[in-house]
Amino acid sequence: MFLSSDDAKAIADKVLAYSRADACTVQIEGGLDQSLRFARGGATTNLASAEASLRVSSHIGGRIGSCSISHFDDEALAAAVARSEEIARMLPVDPDYVAPLGPQNYGFSNRYDETTANLHLDALAGAAARVIEEGARIGVDTFGCATTARRFDAFATSAGLFAYERRSEIDLSATARNRADTWSGWAGAHQFFADRLDAEQIARVACFKGAHDATPVDLEPGVYTVVLEPEATTELAFWLMRAMEARAADEGRSFFTRPGGGGALIGEKLFDEKLTIRVDPADPLAPEAAVGFEGLPHRARDFIEKGIVTTLYRSRVWAQKTGVEAIPFPRNFVMSGGDVSIDDMVRSVRRGVLVTRFWYTNIVERKNLLLTGLTRDGNFLIENGRIVAPMRNMRFNQRLGDLFGNIKALGPTRRTWRAAGDGGAAAAPAMLVEGFNFSSKSSGI
Amino acid sequence: MAAAAPSPIKASCRTRSAFALDRALLHDLADIALTAALQSGASYADLRIGETRREYAFAKDGRLENFDERESQGFGLRVLLDGCWGFYGARRLDPHSLRDGVERALENARAVKPIQFQPIELERLPVHEAEWIMPMGVDPFEIPASEKADLLLSIIASARDHGADFCSASISAACEERFFANSLGSRIHQTRTRVAPSFQATAVDRASGRFTTRDCLTPARGAGWDYILSAGLIEEAARAGQEARAKLGAKPVAPDDYDVVIDPTNLWLTIHETIGHSTELDRVLGWEANFAGTSFVKPSMLNELRFGSELMTIVADRAQPGALATIGYDDDGATAKAAEFAIVEKGVFKNFQMALGQAHLIGLSHSNGCAYADSPTTFPIQRMPNISLMPNPQKCSFDDLISDVENGIYVVGAGSWSIDQQRDNFQFGGQLFYEIKNGKLGDLLRDGAYQGRTTQFWNSLSGLCDASAYHLDGTFTCGKAEPMQVAPVSHGSSPALFRNVRVLNTSD
Repeated sequence: MFLSSDDAKAIADKVLAYSRADACTVQIEGGLDQSLRFARGGATTNLASAEASLRVSSHIGGRIGSCSISHFDDEALAAAVARSEEIARMLPVDPDYVAPLGPQNYGFSNRYDETTANLHLDALAGAAARVIEEGARIGVDTFGCATTARRFDAFATSAGLFAYERRSEIDLSATARNRADTWSGWAGAHQFFADRLDAEQIARVACFKGAHDATPVDLEPGVYTVVLEPEATTELAFWLMRAMEARAADEGRSFFTRPGGGGALIGEKLFDEKLTIRVDPADPLAPEAAVGFEGLPHRARDFIEKGIVTTLYRSRVWAQKTGVEAIPFPRNFVMSGGDVSIDDMVRSVRRGVLVTRFWYTNIVERKNLLLTGLTRDGNFLIENGRIVAPMRNMRFNQRLGDLFGNIKALGPTRRTWRAAGDGGAAAAPAMLVEGFNFSSKSSGI
Repeated sequence: MAAAAPSPIKASCRTRSAFALDRALLHDLADIALTAALQSGASYADLRIGETRREYAFAKDGRLENFDERESQGFGLRVLLDGCWGFYGARRLDPHSLRDGVERALENARAVKPIQFQPIELERLPVHEAEWIMPMGVDPFEIPASEKADLLLSIIASARDHGADFCSASISAACEERFFANSLGSRIHQTRTRVAPSFQATAVDRASGRFTTRDCLTPARGAGWDYILSAGLIEEAARAGQEARAKLGAKPVAPDDYDVVIDPTNLWLTIHETIGHSTELDRVLGWEANFAGTSFVKPSMLNELRFGSELMTIVADRAQPGALATIGYDDDGATAKAAEFAIVEKGVFKNFQMALGQAHLIGLSHSNGCAYADSPTTFPIQRMPNISLMPNPQKCSFDDLISDVENGIYVVGAGSWSIDQQRDNFQFGGQLFYEIKNGKLGDLLRDGAYQGRTTQFWNSLSGLCDASAYHLDGTFTCGKAEPMQVAPVSHGSSPALFRNVRVLNTSD
């Protein structure tokens, strides 16, 4: 169920009017998600789903109780308010209680387009058909998913704040596997505007990458130079950004804790000077939402600038406790790029690996940001500046500090794929790094 | 321990209070939607209407950070029109919304027709009219918020009093009520409840900059509040505080190949990732190739693949009391009895997990009760029933198991995990690692993880405890599909011994 700003505000006002608490917040979200999947060149599953939820949080005597519902009729709203107040009264007083925000000055995040918002499943079937046709032309099996979403988020408080954002989304991702089932390629894109999604290009790249009949070569585990395509770079940067929490650093349980336990490493140069990661609601490639967690405004800011840690995200509670500005968790980010093409990166490598993307990455050790995962869907051996063969997938165990501390070259920043529906967006460049630790072989194709 | 002989679930006599949704309304809505779908040309249609209640309480150190109750209702209608699925889900439960849903579902089926080169085929489906209510002690939703908050703060205090510098704790509860109806006449009304306690104790050594954590080992279960109270969480938190502190001073694991004894608190996740996912037929068919992945297991390997040693028998079920995937009927309307099968028998691969519309693609006549939709508004897909390693039929205690381990490691609790998209190469961490020297448990170790290849690993299974050491673990949130759906599932096992397993040191 998609609500306009006026409709969302009318519901929020009703909830606030029902409230008998000291303070109250209302969060409403919903929209329409549509998707279809295809496999071996034909449709498998599809859905259209109209979603809606409303969460009311009642603040009573420094205690907060919350209740969420999926129906917005008057009776349900009143019952939700009453229940949240009932819960609040039963809870212990929060020693670090923070009252709801008042009016905020938000920027504008341009993530909505009527044309994209009004797409139907037939448009997605059309995009899928581009991939299926290209697969048939090249002689590979194709698999994929196309999704479109139209979503809104509204947040209101009894202190006078009302915020509303909407976004439209479309994504297409495609996997191509050779007919012997011994090799695969992948490509994908996510956009807020349908006219920026090039289904033909996704089809071409996925099928081109998947169309290798040569037996993939095995590489012995060890330390290698790697050329990471933007999707792979984004995956690694995502884990770095997720670790940039002020409280964990302040409490001595983070990669970003100063040695000896003396607080967070803000202002320290921890990474290569080529590394800059920023968040910006006005970014044209990967705009962050204007409204962050707890209603905090997202501002344009660097988290890492030329290798120096400049910002860690910080909840309102922790900000109050430490007397430092609250900064919302960044769900979107942009990693600055350079001007070296992937071809030029490959030409500079004597022996190494070109990685399309990673799979099942997970932090193994938070202190040293040791990340594990595997390569997937397009791994190629580089020898003497040339791609010489498809290469079987490998597991890696890699410390992110070492990886982002030793960047040899960056390509232009490009918007990367994330599944539609969660509002996430990221942009990153291809990256050439040395000393990447492949720890074992995988037969998984 | 119930995995040995799962009993068939019978539709029980319900009490009206067990269901929140109005029975007459459900039947009326089903009749409206399914009749309209058939009249519009659909050859088959099914409908899920449901209500899900959730509760989540989270505390960190001295404060309750979040207490949230959620209630959502909705429906999802799936139609088969000219060999094409069409699906529509929404939150409003009234005749107008259902009629609109029929139109939208049919539109979606028509929309995919141009890329439906192989029509969807369905097997013969039996018709069921039934109700099923999960047996439960105390309804967790009836427990006051104050009691839950007190428990969380007590867990945290216990961990901090015993060595932890920090501790966070949470309790999750969910109650799913589902009404399934299809155009063949099935009408099935079910409800089940699950709870998940969780905490993490952290110890910090500021001088060295090192910190360690020890997570809760008490598993999620299909159960009520009585399970939470009987789990000994405050006592476990005390041990966790001590163990997190002890890990700071523990010896680092020396990387090498070891004989590894794996506790059920860790082995459940290995079973889940290496066996549960690799034997899902939709993955094998490539339906998940773009995201969750495919599988190293192929249809030609049925009754042929030597998956593991003779000690390895893996069974599926939807009947184990307390297990998270236990239910009377799956989301295709198949009985729990259909989901009673061996996946691996004495080391040999025997069966795939299947949902509706898949079996004929590998020459079989019917699916086996493995469908689930994580919300009424999502498309039902193939998901795991409970999948468990049968205990050793021969008597074998834990002491017996480790008695002939000369130089080994005992792994307790699940840690960081990762596996490739065909479910071959895996790496799993743990909460606690102990030396085993000359048949005896030794010192606590730190910074361990084990790595392996699926069939090589399971063929190295050389010892297994009997049913007296059987333990059921599991998760609320197994992720799969696009858009991502999460499913609850349990896996049981007894402690097991694997030979020559590669163990890493994660701080190297």
